[in-house]
Amino acid sequence: MERRKFLSLGAVAAAATILPSTVSATDFRKEKPAAWEAEGSADAIKALFGDIKPIEGKIKMKAPKLAENGGAVPIGMKSKVEVTTVALFQDANPRSAVVVFELGKGGVFDLKTKIKMRKTANVTVIAKGTDGKFYSHVQKVEVSIGGCGG
Amino acid sequence: MKVKAKLKKGNVSVKVLAKSPMAGKEEAAKKKIDVEFITHMTATVNGAVVWEASTGPFLSKNPYMQFVFNAAAAGAKKGDKVEVNWVDNNGKTKKGGKKIK
Repeated sequence: MERRKFLSLGAVAAAATILPSTVSATDFRKEKPAAWEAEGSADAIKALFGDIKPIEGKIKMKAPKLAENGGAVPIGMKSKVEVTTVALFQDANPRSAVVVFELGKGGVFDLKTKIKMRKTANVTVIAKGTDGKFYSHVQKVEVSIGGCGG
Repeated sequence: MKVKAKLKKGNVSVKVLAKSPMAGKEEAAKKKIDVEFITHMTATVNGAVVWEASTGPFLSKNPYMQFVFNAAAAGAKKGDKVEVNWVDNNGKTKKGGKKIK
């Protein structure tokens, strides 16, 4: 009886460890279409994540103080917090949402990309931790020549 | 598409340079080109998704992506291939990849 109990426990534990690896591809454009149409960051964040109260100060953002080319502004995002989802928003273009990253098994929160900004504006990062909490960081990025053709 | 994957201190860092005009409706109208932008990208190693991105037209033209994952946790080692797939707003797909160095 003891052994059986142990085995069944083992099976449950094994199932639990297997689950996270089967990360199904989530297309946030299909699942949350409203988030991609929102004009302001606050509305886009609400449409994507709901009414959240993110914790500040855990995410580090690397962005130029003055971006000379608004067509490709490098944005780096980093944190020691373990996260599943990272979304990037800005208020410089017709719509706010830029990209939503999802990290699979072993994913490290160390992302870099380049975005378009047609004017100086705030760039916001929202991350959802594996603990279910939300984290945020807002940084103003100055742009000398707008890059978005819109 | 250009992909680079490098293993260092147990972590694999991947760099992807995709090719797309990333033109949304406003930009396409101004430049008189068709609306064309990548909407979703995924990176897999040995069949497991390690990274994915739902993207919009406000990424730079020919978007650049960099991400890191732990090799042991993802079950990846040197020589394994990081495969990158993307689909654009017109449903066109593209495939690329590179072995982990």
